[in-house]
Amino acid sequence: MSTMNLIRLELKKIKRTGFLPAFLGGGILAAAVPAVNTAFRPELFAGLSAPPVSILLGANWQMMSMLNVLLIVAGACVLYHIEYADNAMRKMSTLPVRESSLFFGKAAVLILAGVLLLAIEAVSVFGCSIYWFSRAAAPSAGILKSFGFFLLMLIPAALLSLALASACRNLWTSLGIGVVCVFAATMIPAQRFALTLFPFAMPFQMPVNHTGDVIRNYAIAAAAETIVISLSEVIILKVRRIFA
Amino acid sequence: MNIIETQGLTKSYGGFTAVSGINLHIPQGSVYGFLGPNGAGKSTTMKMFLGLTKPTGGSFVIDGMRFPDSRVQILKEIGSLIEAPSFYGNLTGEENLDIIRRILGLPRSSVSEALETVGLTPHRKQLAKKYSLGMKQRLGLAGALIGRPPILILDEPTNGLDPVGIHEIRTLIRSLPQRFACTVLVSSHLLSEIELMADHIGILNHGRLLFEGTPDALKRDATFQGYPTDNLEDTFLALIDADNRQRGGAR
Repeated sequence: MSTMNLIRLELKKIKRTGFLPAFLGGGILAAAVPAVNTAFRPELFAGLSAPPVSILLGANWQMMSMLNVLLIVAGACVLYHIEYADNAMRKMSTLPVRESSLFFGKAAVLILAGVLLLAIEAVSVFGCSIYWFSRAAAPSAGILKSFGFFLLMLIPAALLSLALASACRNLWTSLGIGVVCVFAATMIPAQRFALTLFPFAMPFQMPVNHTGDVIRNYAIAAAAETIVISLSEVIILKVRRIFA
Repeated sequence: MNIIETQGLTKSYGGFTAVSGINLHIPQGSVYGFLGPNGAGKSTTMKMFLGLTKPTGGSFVIDGMRFPDSRVQILKEIGSLIEAPSFYGNLTGEENLDIIRRILGLPRSSVSEALETVGLTPHRKQLAKKYSLGMKQRLGLAGALIGRPPILILDEPTNGLDPVGIHEIRTLIRSLPQRFACTVLVSSHLLSEIELMADHIGILNHGRLLFEGTPDALKRDATFQGYPTDNLEDTFLALIDADNRQRGGAR
C-alpha cells in the first residue's frame, strides 16, 4: 500500500473517536494561551525590547507545549485503542498488510495532527504579535522557523507514544506511562543538554533560548531519535510475531 | 490437487505441544472439516496458516507458496475468521468492510456483495459494536468472504448464531466452492455440523491427527476398527475416547 493510501486508511479508522475534534479543540486551547496571557497584562510584554515572537513564546511555550505533548500521547493511545478494543488488530494481522506499515500510517496521522496543532498556535502567535507589538514588522519568517523547530521536536515524542501504545493492549497502561513520561520531562533541568534529549522533553525546547549550534544539535538528535524509534518498533513487531 | 499441505507441522509452547507433527492434505475446491474437541489444536493450526503464530517444527505449503517467505502473497489469497469476530467498534458494518476492501485493493461493489451474502445489508449503517453476537459473527464472515478469496479459513463460524442463522451459514459454506470456486477449511467441535458441510474431514485430538479422509472413508475405517458407525457422532466420540485411553486416560 502507498503512504497516501495508508494515511487515508488510518483517517477512515478514526471516525467517531473524537480524535480530530480533540486536536482541533486542543489546538484552539493552546492557541488561546498567548492571547489570554497577553490580553490580561499587555504592559508586561509590550514594553520588552526582544523580538515579539521571542517574548510570546518565552512567556507561553511551556504551557502550550505541555498541552501539545499531552494531546500527542492521548492521540497515540486512541489510534491503537481502536485496534485492540474489539480485536481489530487480529483481523489486520490476517490481511496482506505489514504491522509496521500500520504503525507508520498511524505515525503520519499523528504527525499531521501535530501539524494542525502547531498551525493553529502559529496563527495565534502571529495574530498576537501583530496586535500587541505593532512596532514590529509581521514576523512570519521567525514564526515559521520556530514552529518548524517545534514540529521536529514533536516527532520523536509522537513516535515513542505510538510505540508505547502499540505495545500495550490496555489504553490506560499506555496513557499512564505516557503521562508519567511527560511530567518527568518537565522536571528535567534545561541546562543539561543530554537529559533534554529525552523524547518527551524535546517538545519543550525553544529555539529562542539557544544558539545556532545547539539548535542544530537538537535537530540532529530529533532526526536520530526518529530513526532509532522507528527501527526499534519494526524490530519489536517482528520479534512479537515470532514469539506469538 | 491439494491447495494446502503440511509436513510434520508442530507448535509447542514451552513443554506443551498444541500441534504435534500433523500432515494435512486439503484438496482444492473442497469443504474440509477440521474436527476435534476443545484444545485439540484446530485454532493453533489455522493460526499457523495465517502467520499469526510461528510453527516450532515442520512446514506447510499453501497454493504452492511457502511460509514465511511468501507471507503477504499467501494472505492475499486467504479470507479468514479466527475465534472471536474482530472489528472496529467505532465503525459501521459497511465501514469495517471498506477498511478490508481498501487493504485488499478491491472494487467498492465488493462491500455490498459481501454484506448481501451474509444477510447484513439492512444493518450496514449500524455501528459494529452495537451488533448482536450473531451479527458480529456474520460481519466476520463477510470480512472473510469479501473479494471471493480462493481459500477460506473459518474457525467455528457458527458460534453465537441462532438455529436459523446456523442453518443459513452452513448452507452458505456448503455452496461456496461452487459459487466462488474456493476451498474452505472450517473447524468445529460438533461432528453433526461438519457432517452437513464437509466433503473431507480431519480429526484432531491433543494435537495429533487421528483421521483424514472423506466421511465415507471414516465410516469404513471405523467399521474396520470396530467402532460404532450408526452415526458419525458416535464414531467421532469412540475415536477420541480410544485415543485418550491410549494416551493414558488423558481427557
